[in-house]
Amino acid sequence: MLKNRVKEMRARHNLTQSDLGKQVDVTRQTIAFIEKGEFSPSITLALKLAKALLVDVNELFWLEGDKKYEK
Amino acid sequence: MKNDIRLNYPLWMMAFIVLLGVFALGINLSTTETINNETEASLAIQLEAFESFLIFGSILLYLILLTIFSVKIKQYNQKNPHQKISLLAIRPPEYLEADEGMTHITRRAVQKVYTFYSWALPALATIVIILPLPRLLIIYSILGLAFAQYWIYYAEIRKHFKEEEE
Repeated sequence: MLKNRVKEMRARHNLTQSDLGKQVDVTRQTIAFIEKGEFSPSITLALKLAKALLVDVNELFWLEGDKKYEK
Repeated sequence: MKNDIRLNYPLWMMAFIVLLGVFALGINLSTTETINNETEASLAIQLEAFESFLIFGSILLYLILLTIFSVKIKQYNQKNPHQKISLLAIRPPEYLEADEGMTHITRRAVQKVYTFYSWALPALATIVIILPLPRLLIIYSILGLAFAQYWIYYAEIRKHFKEEEE
């Protein structure tokens, strides 16, 4: 299962779900689905999100159980 | 998004299905006489007060709902000129496909509906073949399937929108 830190990173940049959605060209609902773990984004969208949040994609998304990225 | 007509489209269809059921009941309760031979083809329907109420009431309500629905579709199309809803399109307008997240939840909802039909249709066909059901019950079974289809789709989509937060 894919885990993510989108909500945490978004809050760090003081962005709303709508703001982030606009930056990566998706709806606010899609950002919400990703944050809740209901939906695993495509590689393209994951890269766009990492770019918008100024982090490596590995820091934003990782596989469950990967101790290197889990806090 | 929560007031998006595409999100509420299944509810409208469910309301139309209920009205169709009331109309079918009115027609079924009325006395009908069908003549179809070499020289004549005619259908005579005799309506009592209750049947008239059901038939004309359902038609009137249907027209009122259809008018409101058409106005809402027109308003939506004016607000969203790039993704207009056409009632004549083959593709169901309730599909939400603005991006990959919306496409994902639409796919999940459609999968649930498909799963439902994959057992409900054969089950209904078997029941109708085995049991001598009256015509109205068969009509209601078909309308029931259509109603359930929209309910399953709506419930699945709504579930994803329920606990959203900014």
